[in-house]
Amino acid sequence: LFSSIVPPSAYLPDPFSPSSSSASDQDDADIEPIDEQEIYDLISPISDPEHPLTLGSLSVVNLPDIFLTPTFPERGSLSPLTTLTVLVTPTITHCSLATVIGLGVRVRLEQALPPRFRVDVRIKEGTHSTAEQVNRQLGDKERVAAALENGTLMGVLRKMLEGCESGAV
Amino acid sequence: MPSASSLPQVSHLATLEPSSPSRAWLTAAHPTLPLLATCSSDKTVRIYSLTSFTLLSTITGGHKRSIRTCAWKPNLKGESVLATGSFDASVGIWRRYDNDMNPKPKDVLSGLDFDARDKAIASGQMGDEHAEEDEEDDDEWRFAIVLDGHESEVKSVAWSSGGNLLATCSRDKSVWIWEEVGDDDYETIAVMQEHEGDVKCVAWHPEEELLASASYDDDVRLWREDVDDWGCCGVLRGHGSTVWCVGWEGVVPRVLGNVEDGQKDTKERWVKRREASGPRLMSCSDDLSIRVWRRRPKEKVQQSRLSIIRSGTSEEDWVEEGQLPKAHSRPIYAIAWSKSGRVVSTGGDGAVVIYEERWKKAGGNAESKVTEAHEGGMGGAE
Repeated sequence: LFSSIVPPSAYLPDPFSPSSSSASDQDDADIEPIDEQEIYDLISPISDPEHPLTLGSLSVVNLPDIFLTPTFPERGSLSPLTTLTVLVTPTITHCSLATVIGLGVRVRLEQALPPRFRVDVRIKEGTHSTAEQVNRQLGDKERVAAALENGTLMGVLRKMLEGCESGAV
Repeated sequence: MPSASSLPQVSHLATLEPSSPSRAWLTAAHPTLPLLATCSSDKTVRIYSLTSFTLLSTITGGHKRSIRTCAWKPNLKGESVLATGSFDASVGIWRRYDNDMNPKPKDVLSGLDFDARDKAIASGQMGDEHAEEDEEDDDEWRFAIVLDGHESEVKSVAWSSGGNLLATCSRDKSVWIWEEVGDDDYETIAVMQEHEGDVKCVAWHPEEELLASASYDDDVRLWREDVDDWGCCGVLRGHGSTVWCVGWEGVVPRVLGNVEDGQKDTKERWVKRREASGPRLMSCSDDLSIRVWRRRPKEKVQQSRLSIIRSGTSEEDWVEEGQLPKAHSRPIYAIAWSKSGRVVSTGGDGAVVIYEERWKKAGGNAESKVTEAHEGGMGGAE
């Protein structure tokens, strides 16, 4: 059988860590604290694919449903990786565009945030009939990547992100 | 347990540059030459030297969307063949002569290095009369054939150990097997559709024509030819989410360390069982686990030699042998089993973890330890 120990001291210096001199030459490698409000401000101006309203005004995205947690809490400041979880509340439980909305939120965050963020966009529990299915699609790196190569879908997403500052896809 | 200081360190050797401007989906090392292929969402494959760490060539123009995967055909001499799989639903086969990766025949002939000359003659490199004329073309990857059939993104391609069979899989939930029937001529010999979700990865047994596939439906399936038809011969259930990758153990198991005197029997029993089972299979998943699977050898059934009714079934009996220590905090996207018996895994957390299987100090089974190199990963590493 396989078993293990994973001592934190075995890690190599992290290229994104502020103490690493080579990495701190790059501006975007420096760690600026980003809070939930800033995340909310990034995604609330996204428009709904069906209405001329924003996800913020429709309460599809809400500040209390945004969570920032360290990806490796046991490593403390050794690891700058941050997991960002955004729970999306569809306007109706059988909303057929839940996946598209989730994708729009994910794309917006991945474009706006530095790569040390690991973004999880999920449907808030109990707010959608096929939440599990939608969550799996939104969490699948390949499905998301393939969707972004789909011209029709990208047209829809571009329109949704028009209202965001530097929201061009 | 070994202390942290006794763990080997993994250090950065080189960065392959110039790199792709967009996501590099997968890297594949050449089976014999010091070459590495990386496939990218910029629709190209880049071939790097693993001795000078420089870019040797870029394969372009074959695919309309991201190249997700590629695989080097094994058992070739004098030529390299690469299969590519793309989100454009097609599979490409590319060829290139190896001449320019070795000393040029001309240089070898005029040189005083007789060993090199003898070697070149023996390996047939001197037999190519057109070597000089073709030198320019040798730098080119030639597009040999496109294999069409999948309906959506191709996720993985794999050559059988003999190199005559190519397996491909796709988001269309199917696994296809292609056989090379002539020069640049491939025939579809099977289309298998039992998976209920995207098929993420295919991998061939190192000795047998037995294929493993991993899927979005949380299952690993095993496929082999029975009489004339390819079919599913086993379903490995246990993962709680998408299985991203499967990898086979080498033919010879390598368990490290020594057993204590009292444990010799245990070791013997383990080795015997492993010999009867053959190489194990490992699978990694979105559920953050890596599972090891072992074949349960069939019990020999006494039967009449004259019996014309096939009493055996092609069904394979596989069990979960165990799980690797938890080391990842995000989905585990890829695993590989080295010839030396080590296992490496990587995932969405950007960590690269190396595992070693060891004999347990106090009885029972083999154990492993983990060393870890941490990378500030960008997106899905593979």
